[in-house]
Amino acid sequence: MPTLEISLALAGAVFCIGASGVLLRRDPLVMFICIEMMFNAANLAFVALSDRFKSVQGQTLVFLVIAVAAAEVAVGLSIIIAIFRTEKDVNVDHLSELKG
Amino acid sequence: MGLNDILFAVLAFSALASALAVVMTRNTVHAALHFVGHLLCLAGIYSLLHAPLLGVLQVMVYAGAVMVLFLFAVMILDMGEQEHQAVAASKMQLGAAVLAALVLACLLAGLLRHGFGDALAPAGDPALDLGEGNIAAVARVLFRDYALAFETVGVLLLTAVVAVMVMAKRKLES
Repeated sequence: MPTLEISLALAGAVFCIGASGVLLRRDPLVMFICIEMMFNAANLAFVALSDRFKSVQGQTLVFLVIAVAAAEVAVGLSIIIAIFRTEKDVNVDHLSELKG
Repeated sequence: MGLNDILFAVLAFSALASALAVVMTRNTVHAALHFVGHLLCLAGIYSLLHAPLLGVLQVMVYAGAVMVLFLFAVMILDMGEQEHQAVAASKMQLGAAVLAALVLACLLAGLLRHGFGDALAPAGDPALDLGEGNIAAVARVLFRDYALAFETVGVLLLTAVVAVMVMAKRKLES
C-alpha cells in the first residue's frame, strides 16, 4: 500500500481544511484549533518523508515542532483570555484594538 | 492487504473526517473534542510510519496537555453559548472554501507531478534503525546534531511560561 502518497495527500488535505477553518470561523478558539491542525499536517508530512528516506531527522524536527506548538498554545490562549476578560466579546470581527 | 494497511486506511479516513468535523461543527466544545480524535488518529498513523516515539508524544503532549488547556479556555470563556455566530456570512464562506480548494489542488498537483517521491531514493543512514530502536535513534540525532535547537526550545518554553504568568497576574485596567 502506498503509505507515503496517502500520507502526503492527507497532510495536504488536512492543511487546507485547517486553512479554510481559520478563514471561515469567527470563534477565536476554533481558529486556534485550526492553526494547530495545520501544524499537525506539516508534522505528518515530516514523519511520512522520514519513513520514506529511512532517516530520523524528520522525526527530530517534529519533536521540536511539538514543543514550539505547546509554547505557542500557552501564550496564544493567555492572550485570548486576557482580551476577552476586558472585551466580553467572542467575535474576532468586532476586535479592532490591534489595528495599526 | 495486511492488517497494517487496513489500519492505516481506517486511521487516515477518520483523521480526515474528524478534521472536517472540527470545521463544520458549531459548538466549540465539540470542535475541541473532534480535534482530540483527529490527534489520536494521527498518533496511530505516526506509529504505523515507524515513529512510535512521536505517536506517544502526540498523545501525551497534544491530545493530553494542549487540548486540556484548550478545554479549560473554552470553559473559562463560556464559549458554548456563542453557537449562533460561529460561521461567517455565506459569501465569505464560499470564497474561503474556493481558496482552500485551490491551495489543495496546487499541493496535490505538485505531488502528482513529482511522482509522489518515486524519484526520491532512500538516502538516509541505513545504520539508523527506524524499527524498534526508534527512540535511541531519535535521541542520538536530537542530542548530538540538534542539541542547540533542543536547548533553545527549552528556553522558549520557559519564556512562554513566564509570559503567561505575567499576563495572568496583571491587574485589569479600568
